[in-house]
Amino acid sequence: MLKKSVVALVLVAMLLTPVLAAPLKAANDAPSRMLLGQDDLPTNPLACPGEEEAMEEPAATEEAEEVVEYNGGQPVDAPDLAGQDIRVLDLPKLIGIAYFAATTKGLNEAAEELGNMEIITDAPTEASVDDQITFIENYVTQGIDVIAFASNDPVAISPALRNALEQGVHVIGFDADSEPDAREWFVNQATFNGMAKAMVDSMVEEVGADGSVAIITSSLTAPNQNRWISEMLAYADKCYPDLNWLETVPSEEDQQLAFQRAQELVNKYGEDLDGIFAMSSVAGPGAADALTQMGVCDQTITVGISTPNQMRPFIENGCAPKVVLWNPIDLGYATAYVIRAVIDGELLPGATEVEAGRLGTLPVINGSEILLGPPTVFTQENINDFDF
Amino acid sequence: MTATTSKPLPQSEATPLGQQLRGLLAFLGSQEFILALGIVLLSLAVYADNPRFGAERNLLSILSNSAYIAVAALGMTVVIITGNIDISVAALLGVLGTIAGQLAVHDYPIWLAWLAPIVFGILIELFIGFLVAYLRIPAIVATLGMMSVLKGGLIFVTGGAWIYDLPKGFFLAQRQPLGIPMPIYFMFALTLLMAIWMRYSATGRAIYAVGGNREAARLSGISEKRILMTVFGINGLMVGISTILFATQFTTIQSTVPPGVELTIITAAVIGGVSILGGSGTVIGAMLGAILIRTIQSGMIFVNVSAYWLQAVQGLLILLTVLVDIFRRRRQMSAIGK
Repeated sequence: MLKKSVVALVLVAMLLTPVLAAPLKAANDAPSRMLLGQDDLPTNPLACPGEEEAMEEPAATEEAEEVVEYNGGQPVDAPDLAGQDIRVLDLPKLIGIAYFAATTKGLNEAAEELGNMEIITDAPTEASVDDQITFIENYVTQGIDVIAFASNDPVAISPALRNALEQGVHVIGFDADSEPDAREWFVNQATFNGMAKAMVDSMVEEVGADGSVAIITSSLTAPNQNRWISEMLAYADKCYPDLNWLETVPSEEDQQLAFQRAQELVNKYGEDLDGIFAMSSVAGPGAADALTQMGVCDQTITVGISTPNQMRPFIENGCAPKVVLWNPIDLGYATAYVIRAVIDGELLPGATEVEAGRLGTLPVINGSEILLGPPTVFTQENINDFDF
Repeated sequence: MTATTSKPLPQSEATPLGQQLRGLLAFLGSQEFILALGIVLLSLAVYADNPRFGAERNLLSILSNSAYIAVAALGMTVVIITGNIDISVAALLGVLGTIAGQLAVHDYPIWLAWLAPIVFGILIELFIGFLVAYLRIPAIVATLGMMSVLKGGLIFVTGGAWIYDLPKGFFLAQRQPLGIPMPIYFMFALTLLMAIWMRYSATGRAIYAVGGNREAARLSGISEKRILMTVFGINGLMVGISTILFATQFTTIQSTVPPGVELTIITAAVIGGVSILGGSGTVIGAMLGAILIRTIQSGMIFVNVSAYWLQAVQGLLILLTVLVDIFRRRRQMSAIGK
């Protein structure tokens, strides 16, 4: 019968699936680092814990040699306002969300400390670059001393910022950059190797240097995630060679899929799985929810890149004991100090560091960026200080 | 065969025994049976490779994760049987989830938070039904438009902010009566209800009739407009219930539309044997299709298929299932033709 042949075909196909899939298997016997979701760009792992002090000097000089020349723009005929009161437009991507409320709070904290800076926060209520351009044009026309922006689109915002520079307005970026020549400096919240070090150190503190870990990434083509994973592997190779990397699975910015992937990883490896790295703010809550609902947090935990509000319940119940991100209050605070240093002529092209109040001295990287410093690790101890 | 189309089998003058045999063969060749067999065989093959796959906890989580797709696929199947389609379901799922979550965090009674997605789901789908049935807008256009409206509206209203601090009682899908996750009960109960309704109710039969031959259906006194409204209304009901299963699973609600879910839902329905041209298909097939998709997804993790191949292998398996279905249909059509 023909139907029989159809049934037989399906049976054969189903039975063959594992066989056909065999060559696609991630080689378990010889763990290949090509299969963990990293990219093939060069990595630059930071110093291991306890070695930071010793390493700092050589690393700094090494970086200085290959440092990019200053590539920011400069305002044309800007008035000399050194030491005088200045008015700063705080132009985040949008207002009304907790994250940028926190950067604004940081700006104002620093302005109060400095005493000669007025912060005017004005931005669209949705993340629109067109609206941002309108704000820039209006404030340049009305007269403003400094624009501090977080761009919704690095390319589209640049002409308006260049115009501001030509009108003698200082332009400083934070959180999300424009093209380098459209602003003088950019305050960078975190580097890839910095995030990687914080992630791996946090994981090792929880599962030990010989633990077994898996990664739930967003998608295997996501450039940021691939960069983080590469730096994490490089850093772990250097500092924790016994850390056992099981596999990387994608979750496609889908909380439900991340949830499902975490369940599958736990069911597959059981007690052999000590920790899951969750590489996005969607993967984190999904994975932590799965571990919570399965009741396995005493043997498997997750360490992720996510915001405190998303992860609060899981930080509190111990399923995600450590969450890595930067502190947006510090980001705003540093931005204000950078602005003051530029106005006062203390941060000139070619400078290698800048004073930033309670944050100490921040390094200049990539030519015209100021690095905020190591990321913040949110734990049960500090989680209640944050609301974003 | 008998279960997949409204057209009666060509009755030969066979003996009762011959008829029984014929019935048995029709059952063995039916999409449902092939799917069920496929799920079992695939599971056994994965289990042979990695016994951990067979753990009760794992099998339950596969079924539980299938549930919201399966329930939405029930509605999708009914829509597709009439020769229409709804590509706005994922956007609707996101919007309804946010409505439920917002009601729950603003201290409205929990039952209201659960009821609201169903009511709004039905209303929005009835509106789509109106566009399709009365204004004669092709369903793919109407739902494409609705998808943009819903996605845009959601991001405008929420600004992408997630919903936190949901009350404890809200998490229906996390409950496990008798140790079995709640979504599984919903999936089986709704599939059974829908299967019976589609097969035995006059409206159920009329839905197949409209999809199979619109003109014949009209001549036999079936109001196509009324049927289309009913169909989209049912789809709204199913998306509403699916939303509850989806949104009450998590401690926080992601206020963005889950990516690609409409394709998974449509795929489940199509694997389940619904003809994309209308006229045939079953809800049991749709449920099995959803379970098969999840079994493939999960099974590939257990047999160590490289993450880089997950999507491709999943797509191939789906393509294979659909090909087999087309092959089977051709045989049946030529058999009927004789």
